[in-house]
Amino acid sequence: MASLRGLSRPARGLPLSQASLQTFSTSSRRCAASQAAAAVAVEELAELEDSALHTPQLSPEEKEEFRPWKRQVDREFSLPSGRYTYHPPKFSRGPLHPIQSPPSSDPTARDFVPGPFNLPRLRHTYLSTCASDIMTLAYQHVPPGTEKKEAPQRLRGWDGSSPYHKNRPLRGPRGSAVLAIREKDINFTNIPELKEITVASFVPKALGDKDYLLVCRNVMLALTGTLPEITQTKADVAQWHMRAGQPAGVKTTLIGNAAYEFLDRMVNIVFPRIKDWRGIEATTGDSAGNLAWGFGPEEVKLFPEVEANYQMYAPRMIPGCRVFVKTTATSDRQARLLMQTLGVPFYGEVRN
Amino acid sequence: MAPNLPACPLLPPSPSLLRHSIPTPIKLQFLKQQTRNATYVLRHRRPYQFTQLVQLSDGSTYTCRTTSPLSLYKSAKDSRNHTLWQPSDKSLRNIEVDEAGKLAAFRERFGRGWDMSDNTTTTEESTTPEMKAEAKAVVEEKKEEEIDPFDSLVDLISGYATADNKNTKGGLSAKDQAKKDKAKKK
Repeated sequence: MASLRGLSRPARGLPLSQASLQTFSTSSRRCAASQAAAAVAVEELAELEDSALHTPQLSPEEKEEFRPWKRQVDREFSLPSGRYTYHPPKFSRGPLHPIQSPPSSDPTARDFVPGPFNLPRLRHTYLSTCASDIMTLAYQHVPPGTEKKEAPQRLRGWDGSSPYHKNRPLRGPRGSAVLAIREKDINFTNIPELKEITVASFVPKALGDKDYLLVCRNVMLALTGTLPEITQTKADVAQWHMRAGQPAGVKTTLIGNAAYEFLDRMVNIVFPRIKDWRGIEATTGDSAGNLAWGFGPEEVKLFPEVEANYQMYAPRMIPGCRVFVKTTATSDRQARLLMQTLGVPFYGEVRN
Repeated sequence: MAPNLPACPLLPPSPSLLRHSIPTPIKLQFLKQQTRNATYVLRHRRPYQFTQLVQLSDGSTYTCRTTSPLSLYKSAKDSRNHTLWQPSDKSLRNIEVDEAGKLAAFRERFGRGWDMSDNTTTTEESTTPEMKAEAKAVVEEKKEEEIDPFDSLVDLISGYATADNKNTKGGLSAKDQAKKDKAKKK
């Protein structure tokens, strides 16, 4: 079959005897000069990566030849039915059960996801240039032989005034229950990286009219390419006619290639098209390396996916959304450095 | 109803308990035991994604996976022709091109009232705050000297707007009140 791959698509559909005839007849019609030129072109293209763009257009005759339904009708014996193919079990009954479902990497598995189909441009840029740039930018020289400073203990101990203080765990910091994350120096083992992007949208109007939620879900599906999850309201608010537990929002999380492609689309296509846009406010961030920004309804319309099918949505129902970019950076300034190298501009005062 | 059933009913109750309590029928639905029969293996729900060729305004192309069915996306405005991403590109700066002299002719006839007010050039060049203040003062003086108030239509319109916006309901607006309070303090 591998040798057949070189042939054009209709030729592959034909039986082998016909295919050889077909190629012979077409080659006899060609003249030598054009054939040589074509060979050169093919050699040049071979250096590029494999792409469907190089396949030649089908001629009308070839199109007429291509009749898969005819082959099916002419077939004398029927192909084996689905009964004979392997179907993985619908239920996983634990690791000790004799019937085991195949791993998710197996194409027959129920939870198999095909791909990756391309290396996103932004990820390629990150791997080839951004990562090393960030490491070089953040390099701090420490002369060899310098003693390592030990980080001070931030948890509070017990004074020992009571005998019950013995063996008690240390207390958390004053004023807050959580210990803020400590910034780590960037070295070759922990270069900040894009971890995931969560896109969320809250549609309070969906409490009254469910169509808003439907449109919101469709828009988010178009933007992210994943089926979003419906979120519920958390609190009872009488003024807004809101009760806890009602569906009024949508969210999805993108990881890996999808996250890079979404960020690339925002940076290169959506941000430049926003009117009078100055950048992302530099005060954004949760001081743990996660940044966030938002799009209004007018700005969601600028995404090429929404633009391509704009007629599908009721214009006043298109929602805004919030974008939460999670990185492996341990502080906001490192996360901002990463985002700036990936092309997100910031403006205004910096908080931390 | 038996509100306090033992957590594990399979263990025999202690003899002291047996002696005093009346035997109650154990109901199966009250048993709090871990059950793990099977987990349904979900098939992922993924919308179809196309491979799209994106062409930026400078002609560079790349492929991406999107839900948009267009095979080629050509963008007119993107990061390659935006001043925020290309600060050194002078062709993107907003400089007036008046080769035919039409703008000059328009100004000769109707004055400069239709121009956008620009005070950005002076502030960009001067860096220190003192220099900025000086530049501002100079600009204001120039404005007072040169610009006829009725020539600028923007000023004319805004002047009418303030006249209309007088507080008719009685009482002072928060801004006016603050002004008044300041004056009193002095």
